[in-house]
Amino acid sequence: MLEMFQYQFMVNAFLAGIMIALLAAFSGSFMVLRRYALLTETLAHSALVGVAVGILMGNNPVWMAVVAAVLSAWTIEYLRSFFHLYSDAILAIFLSGSLALAVIIVSLAGAFNSSLFSYLFGSILSVTREEVWTIFAVGIPALLLLGYYYKELYFIAYDEEVAKTSGIRVTMLNFMLVSIVAVIIALSIRIVGTLLIGALMVIPTVAALRYRLGFTSTVALSIVFALFSVIAGMMLSYLFSLPSGATIVLCVLAIFVISLVINRR
Amino acid sequence: MTFEPAVFEVEHLELIAGGQPILKEVSFKVLQGEYCAVIGPNGGGKTTLMRLLLGLQKPTAGTIRLFGEAQARFRHWDRIGYVPQQVTQTDRLFPGTVEEIVSMGRISKLGWSKRWRKEDLRQIEGAMARMEVLDLRHRLIGELSGGQRQRVMIARALASDPKVLILDEPNTGVDQPSQQRFYALLRQLNRESHLTILFVTHDVGVIADDIGRLFTVNQTLSTCNDPKALMSCEGMSELYGIDAHLLSQHHRH
Repeated sequence: MLEMFQYQFMVNAFLAGIMIALLAAFSGSFMVLRRYALLTETLAHSALVGVAVGILMGNNPVWMAVVAAVLSAWTIEYLRSFFHLYSDAILAIFLSGSLALAVIIVSLAGAFNSSLFSYLFGSILSVTREEVWTIFAVGIPALLLLGYYYKELYFIAYDEEVAKTSGIRVTMLNFMLVSIVAVIIALSIRIVGTLLIGALMVIPTVAALRYRLGFTSTVALSIVFALFSVIAGMMLSYLFSLPSGATIVLCVLAIFVISLVINRR
Repeated sequence: MTFEPAVFEVEHLELIAGGQPILKEVSFKVLQGEYCAVIGPNGGGKTTLMRLLLGLQKPTAGTIRLFGEAQARFRHWDRIGYVPQQVTQTDRLFPGTVEEIVSMGRISKLGWSKRWRKEDLRQIEGAMARMEVLDLRHRLIGELSGGQRQRVMIARALASDPKVLILDEPNTGVDQPSQQRFYALLRQLNRESHLTILFVTHDVGVIADDIGRLFTVNQTLSTCNDPKALMSCEGMSELYGIDAHLLSQHHRH
């Protein structure tokens, strides 16, 4: 089985996958606790608009995805904090709106083909060395920022208003968190795909919550779950020629079901 | 004797929302070391007034000064501990030990390294000890009883070593013995630690002996300087119908 690492593309895929698992589970913990799980799904669809524009214009779709996801994240956060609109309603509007826009752009480009398919569902074979570098170059600063503001983000997740009254710059940190999440999602679409990255952000934390631990332990456990799912998913996908993103999601779902069963009370 | 500015100094405060006046012509002062209760009917603007003091909402007109400084320029928010409404109804699944929750109150005091220093750990532990939750430090917040959770939330507010505590009816869903213990702890904080307390409550009858002054908020604010003689106070007679059971409680305890 280890012969898979003789292939450069497998090494690339594992490096990228491990980084994405770390980022997705860490940032996802805050999103789940803030009842913002659906934002990950919405931003993934916004990223798809960027991919579509990239395909239409012949630019690198990944960078266009980053731009689209970040713009969408800022708009959503702005609407949420300054207009006090219902968060879930805003997310629903953005989710379907983005998908509609992406479909129109892609059809204009005449590109309903395998290239789009790989962005939707992830493709282990498509990860280049250059993309691995990009993921690490953006991912490491993102991890450091999340780690640096870890305590503040936790406080905000528990009680945004009390955090504000204690002097924490809540608005700034909220924009930072959604920006980081947007970038992570856009960068991940090559590996797990637009339609599946939300699962990798949300399910490891939801599974870890079943063990009823403190916050730090819950985050650590969710990272372990995400890493395990990505590594196991990629191996299975290699061995049985399955789509990588879907295999990873099924692995994390299996962990969730096991966590649910052994912690039933 | 040194001059100490008032903790809160509110002048001609007014809030109009959706064309409706919520608060008008509200002026009052809270001095350092005072224990003040705030009462009034539901929807009378008590919570809104607390939110205005904390800067969570902007007034339509009027000024708020905190420790002598205009609110817009005030930066020492760690001097104000806030315990919001519904502290007893937190999400049961939320991952957090008592220690993790209480530590939150200290975060704004962290330096650039974001690491807990000895002083921080001492204050966090001290806050837990004062609120008698030290033995619960490794328990999950979702597993605690209403009364225990209430004390944890106050410990969190105390962790930043504040000068003043704002409590907004934090006693919903707490049983009677826990309530009594809670009032005793507040009295202790005020008398022994000289903490200024602004307490929004329905149970003013029970703490009438502890508090120095009473504010009645019902769109406007009236001050009662002798809470023991509740009925003689301005504004009380209008409220009598609403808060009658609270006044009669005073005689039961």
